[in-house]
Amino acid sequence: MTIAMQPLQLSHFQSLLLFALIISLAFGTLGRRQPIERLKYAAWSFAMFVLIAIALGWLMYPFSR
Amino acid sequence: MPDDTEGINREVQGDVGIEPAHATPATSDPHYAKHSGASEARAIATAIAGWLIPGMGHALLKMWGRAVTVLLTVAFLVYLGAGMRGNLFSPGGDDAFARLGYAADIGTGSLYYLARALESTGPDVSHADGDYGTRFLATAGVLNLLAALHAYEAARRRKA
Repeated sequence: MTIAMQPLQLSHFQSLLLFALIISLAFGTLGRRQPIERLKYAAWSFAMFVLIAIALGWLMYPFSR
Repeated sequence: MPDDTEGINREVQGDVGIEPAHATPATSDPHYAKHSGASEARAIATAIAGWLIPGMGHALLKMWGRAVTVLLTVAFLVYLGAGMRGNLFSPGGDDAFARLGYAADIGTGSLYYLARALESTGPDVSHADGDYGTRFLATAGVLNLLAALHAYEAARRRKA
């Protein structure tokens, strides 16, 4: 069985944001019990994903050319 | 998001016929061994259910918030990965990377076959999108395995 699906076109940054958002939500929900703790952990995780990815991108920038 | 620990808390309190987590194990007691074996079998069944259908392990433990979140996150990652035409590995790969990729992909359980159905045009990793899609699919599998392990631990009352 196949389902017709339009290919998704996402930029690098959009992919990064989506990935970080989804994984952070899952980490927050699985890792903490109370709603407010989950929200804090998810926000912290999301920020770390994005900031570290950008930092690594800049670190690799000199070697990209 | 609602606090979904009610189900596991009720279990820990022992109203389903199983000793609470803090009870001192009486290993010489045959009733303890019987209950312990049944509890372990139930925990393994919970983990397998969680692997086959993302979120089902937590749903069986009545941890509804976690069940819904696991289902939605794994399904969305699979949808994105397939939509970005990521590489969905097949069994019997030629090298270790292909076999590891398959192990990660099959971690999504039944959604592996949904991803196969969604990728009607096959993978395309000649562009960054396809490469990212491969990572999204693998992450969905590993995340679901992590959730199944969490459900297993929760069923054994080691974690909630």
